[in-house]
Amino acid sequence: MAFLSFGSHTIRYDLSGPQKGPSYVLVNGLTQYSELWGVYREALTARNFRVLTFDLLGQGESDKPTLFINQDDHVAVLRPLIELVSDGPVFLAGISFGGLIALRYAIEQGDTLAGLVPMSTFAELSPQLLLIGNALRTGLILGGTSYLQDLLLPMNLSDSWLAPLMDKLDSVKRQGWLVNDVYALQNLMESFLDFNPLTPHLGSIRVPTMILNGEFDFLTPRALHDALRARIPDSALIIVPRAYHAFTLEKAALTADLLARFATDVLAGQWSGGGAVRVAPEEPGGDILPFPADFDHLRAIPVRKPTT
Amino acid sequence: MSEFLGPLDAAGRVPARQQTRIASFLMSGHGALARQLAIAMPPHLRFGWQTEMHAQLYRETEVVSLLVHATSWVPDLEIPLLCLAWEAAWLPKPVADIKDRDQGLLIDTAALGHALHAAIRPAALLPLEAAAEDPFVLALRRIEFESSRMMQAQIQFLKSPQLLDVRDAVNAAVERRHAEVRRLWTALLESIGVTEG
Repeated sequence: MAFLSFGSHTIRYDLSGPQKGPSYVLVNGLTQYSELWGVYREALTARNFRVLTFDLLGQGESDKPTLFINQDDHVAVLRPLIELVSDGPVFLAGISFGGLIALRYAIEQGDTLAGLVPMSTFAELSPQLLLIGNALRTGLILGGTSYLQDLLLPMNLSDSWLAPLMDKLDSVKRQGWLVNDVYALQNLMESFLDFNPLTPHLGSIRVPTMILNGEFDFLTPRALHDALRARIPDSALIIVPRAYHAFTLEKAALTADLLARFATDVLAGQWSGGGAVRVAPEEPGGDILPFPADFDHLRAIPVRKPTT
Repeated sequence: MSEFLGPLDAAGRVPARQQTRIASFLMSGHGALARQLAIAMPPHLRFGWQTEMHAQLYRETEVVSLLVHATSWVPDLEIPLLCLAWEAAWLPKPVADIKDRDQGLLIDTAALGHALHAAIRPAALLPLEAAAEDPFVLALRRIEFESSRMMQAQIQFLKSPQLLDVRDAVNAAVERRHAEVRRLWTALLESIGVTEG
């Protein structure tokens, strides 16, 4: 664990893996902290990647601005962090809010990246997402961090992940509750509820991009990811089966494998996005299959695409 | 040093000396806010925002009253001296770069309220084994829980459009109050063998 000075603030980060070589920089979502990427650190360093994780400004053990914070601050923080590993190819991956920050960074500083992986994310707020975001913010204000966690857990994780933990959910929530302060989370949420859509700028992302979306992601559904796929030139949308919004927690081994394979393909010159829609395997190492060509990937039931 | 209060007794209660110091600090801070609000409260409310001020006054008073009744008090000869330092810190301070003195004092009061409600998390000091039904434990949880609602009034005021022109001064005032409150809180915790995680 180390700290990086950024203006008047400090950012906690962790860099592990070999001294040189390709790197993954992983960006947290709301209420998350660096340690939640532990499985990725092990899996990716075992495949000779350097892994840099950190606590977002306002979360975990990074500084928490008292009143004012905006998305520009998060993007600005990424720059010095990425510089730490910029002597080799850098792949940037982010989940949810972190995915939005990663998209913004790729729009503004794409030339410093070798690849981009937005996960469970969005480039603009749909009416549903805006209303859900506002409701989550109100929940945080009225019920505290614990209530926000109560809302996020069943929304973002599957029954099969939750079932064995039902009698110890308090301990599952405790670390996130301890390291996150209401005012800082509120500042963070407000910085994401008031922003200009990135959609018109997605076309300027020129790096290879793998977009990951959980099959059952309720919070940021398929259409929000498809908007990324349709506009980012060298991108492919990979649907993660039986996964919800927080699949980076629930299916960490599978997601780490997908990240490693993407970066390996990019570095070998074998990545071809082409706006494809694909389906990830259920287990690490399995085949990534094309989504059936005749069917509409935006539907939740098998409906054929309209013939034109 | 531990990140949590304790060691707890067999019934899961926080040691009385720790209770006494924490309650004294919180009563001093929230009591100061209550006094400042009481002084600012007009006899007859004329503006909508004054209804929130009225609510804040009584919530701050409730915090003080709750601690008086929920704490297991023990004699602590250092408390009077500590109290002097705390009370001096809560005194209203002018905000640099704000020409309107009254507005500056209002900003400072809101900044102090934000710091006391946001930077102090008494429930996060409780170990998992703390007795769920113990009055002091419940009081700390209630104070932290209510704080997230109470600070909304301060946030709305400090981020309001009428203070946009003096945003840097507002931010500096809030950061200063946070730093001050954290310094006093950290020193208090260290005096009872607790270090913030």
